[in-house]
Amino acid sequence: MGLRSFFGILPPRVSYRGVSAPVEPVPIPEKIRLLWYKRTPSDLAVQIGKRVETGQDLARDGKGPFVSTVTGRVEDIGEFQGVDAREYLAITIITEQRDSFDPSLEAIEDFSETKPETLRAAVNRAGFTALSPIIRDPRVWPRVDALIISAMDLDPQSVANQQSFRDNTSEIGTAVELLARTTEALKCTLAVPDNLAGIATGVSMGAAAVVMVPPVYPYGLPEILAKKYGAGLLLHPHDTGFSGNTIVVGLDHALSMVHSLQGGKPMLEKTVTFSTGENGGFRNFRVRIGTPVSELLKMASVEPAAGGKLILNGTMRGYACFSDKQPVTATTESLHVQSPSEGFSFQDTQCTNCGKCNQVCPVDLEVNLLGRFSEYGIYDKSRTLGAENCIQCGLCAYVCPARRPLVQYITGAKQAIRSGLEEPVGMAEAMECDACGPSCPAIRLFDMGSDTEDSPKEKE
Amino acid sequence: MKTLDLTVSPAPHIHCGARITGVAYNFFLALLPTVAFGVYYYGFDAIRVIGASIASAMIAEAVFQYIMKKPITIADGSAAVSGLLLALILPASVPLYLVVVANFVGIIIAKQCFGGLGASPLNPVLVSWAIIRVTNTWAGFLDFDLTLINYDTGFLLQYPLAVLKAEGSAGLAHFSLLDLFLGRQGGGIGASAIIWLLAGGLYLVVRGMIRWEIPCSFLLGVIVVAGIFWLGNSKTYANPMFHILAGNVMIGAFFLSTDNSSAPVNRWGMVVFGFGCGAMTVVLRAWSVYPDGVVFACLLMSLFTPLFDKLRAKQVLPQPVYPITPATISGTVEERSGQ
Ligand code: SF4
Ligand code: SF4
Repeated sequence: MGLRSFFGILPPRVSYRGVSAPVEPVPIPEKIRLLWYKRTPSDLAVQIGKRVETGQDLARDGKGPFVSTVTGRVEDIGEFQGVDAREYLAITIITEQRDSFDPSLEAIEDFSETKPETLRAAVNRAGFTALSPIIRDPRVWPRVDALIISAMDLDPQSVANQQSFRDNTSEIGTAVELLARTTEALKCTLAVPDNLAGIATGVSMGAAAVVMVPPVYPYGLPEILAKKYGAGLLLHPHDTGFSGNTIVVGLDHALSMVHSLQGGKPMLEKTVTFSTGENGGFRNFRVRIGTPVSELLKMASVEPAAGGKLILNGTMRGYACFSDKQPVTATTESLHVQSPSEGFSFQDTQCTNCGKCNQVCPVDLEVNLLGRFSEYGIYDKSRTLGAENCIQCGLCAYVCPARRPLVQYITGAKQAIRSGLEEPVGMAEAMECDACGPSCPAIRLFDMGSDTEDSPKEKE
Repeated sequence: MKTLDLTVSPAPHIHCGARITGVAYNFFLALLPTVAFGVYYYGFDAIRVIGASIASAMIAEAVFQYIMKKPITIADGSAAVSGLLLALILPASVPLYLVVVANFVGIIIAKQCFGGLGASPLNPVLVSWAIIRVTNTWAGFLDFDLTLINYDTGFLLQYPLAVLKAEGSAGLAHFSLLDLFLGRQGGGIGASAIIWLLAGGLYLVVRGMIRWEIPCSFLLGVIVVAGIFWLGNSKTYANPMFHILAGNVMIGAFFLSTDNSSAPVNRWGMVVFGFGCGAMTVVLRAWSVYPDGVVFACLLMSLFTPLFDKLRAKQVLPQPVYPITPATISGTVEERSGQ
């Protein structure tokens, strides 16, 4: 969390925590809920009341895979609003405490003997998310210039990957081998936080080169790792192809992959860091995917204060839950219980142009202008300023003395650009808009030239 | 089951704690020794000007915002800081109505009409001062040698820049650099307290309230350009150290040119801006009719701020998606890397 240098000569730093927290298993809850984005009940191969096995593919042919993480009976199929405010298809399963594994998953003994396509198919079938958006057809695979296995955590509130590194040094070589083979990357790198250098020296990393990464946010974010230690850009799938060249996989995820492929099991569990208060109470819980957040609270015997927040995935980029029924998903890294006094509220103030946001932005955006253009809907300008390059790290809003919700403004602009909305509102229109007259802070002197040329012609 | 009372808000969920008011508080703290200096030497008159200036700046802002039905933001302290800074570059003898008029002009025309804090293309303090300076009937009030004649400060109360303008560098023999540094010179209420301004300015830099690039390059600009003049003709033009220690340069470098909304925010922009302010100051001192050029130099450079802010790397926009081609569909790593 925030480390505000007393003599603020440097911008405030947000450091990762170097604490070690042993991984504690959480028992399988009575009910779990699995979420599936952008799907309808007709995509499912199961109905209410049916019994499912652990590892069973619940999706209709060609739609999936959508893997059950428990054995039990389907209680309900419905819609669920995820913590990111998107609608998900949710399937609720009443669990049996014992797993009976779906026999269609096969164990793979030796990764080096197996073809990459087979590995990709197996990883995909087991339900791993790190590669699944890219693997739509295991035979179609983009060129991957760099693979980074990261022992860095995504957020200062998470210590899950670090702990995996501490606990599983003997298996890292295998994980590197598996992922290098699966992704067919030309170069493989293991990113280790600086403070664990002592452990890293004694470990066999297989074919991977090791880089020591300063334990300062946002170095652990995949985008930054890809930029600094990979080949530049994260690999993204699009409808028509791919963009980018680097894949970043968390170490915890990579090790789960090894275990499940070797044992013929699906992706079952996730290490979730639980923390509470300003500094305290870091615990790592190993939970079944689909476990509701309330189980973690029960396990830690913590009750959020009235008006507090339950934050999934960290205080910088994460989401505040609106209910404790929100399940842990394959991408959940941490759960932070925040008391009202720790939080702050955004304000609807105008930018004072202090430039602190520009100073901290890890992708070097002109956030002072970007925030204003995005706020006022001048999206063509936002685009030329690089709104799409923003990685939503949250640092600009963290330092802004005016407490502007900068990330929201920029994300809004990004979404508008993506959906092609940048055309209707441009600088020319804004100049004609009389709503705020000459006081419109988005328009600065000398910035009034013809900007129509800048607006992108094609939509993505 | 009991439902929890949870707050939902967008990321990030923590904040470093900085506030807009923090900037104003730190400015006040940094200027405290300077104010004490002014009050010590000019007594009640200094208090009078400073008080009137702060009050009128805040009232100007409040009145305008009330009339325009905008939220009244005088509590953020920015208007008060502007008022204080204006007072510090005025002589202690200035009539109060002038202070009030200047503040109303500066705050309303230069700041509020452009959208308030952060949106003004020119620093309101500088505009206020310039209004007095360029108005024929008022300009006399800014003549330090005439207006300060009645004060007994225990040192020679002479405005060094006016001496320089009138007599060339030959007339400066009785100004030792140490005296200038300690503030034993005629000038604004606070602008001559060089040592205290330097201390306050360094405090602000260290606390991150102003960026170091602007003051450093400002002073560098003064030294370089004054050095060129001095090397060319040391009879007419004063040496660079004199330029740094006389007049408004110190207050300009740390407090006037660093105004957030009228200065660039990107590193190289700030460097060029600061250097330009410093260079322009010396040029105006040497060639214009005004003894000091800091205010006009800063105003002039502020006009180019949006241009200076473009001195930075362009963002690389996302590349187009590359389609799935047969080359990417099959083949092993070895085959592909051999392509
Ligand atoms: S959230 Fe975006 S704009 Fe803000 S600092 Fe991070 S990358 Fe830069
Ligand atoms: S940090 Fe906030 S107030 Fe400062 S320039 Fe950025 S958006 Fe404006």
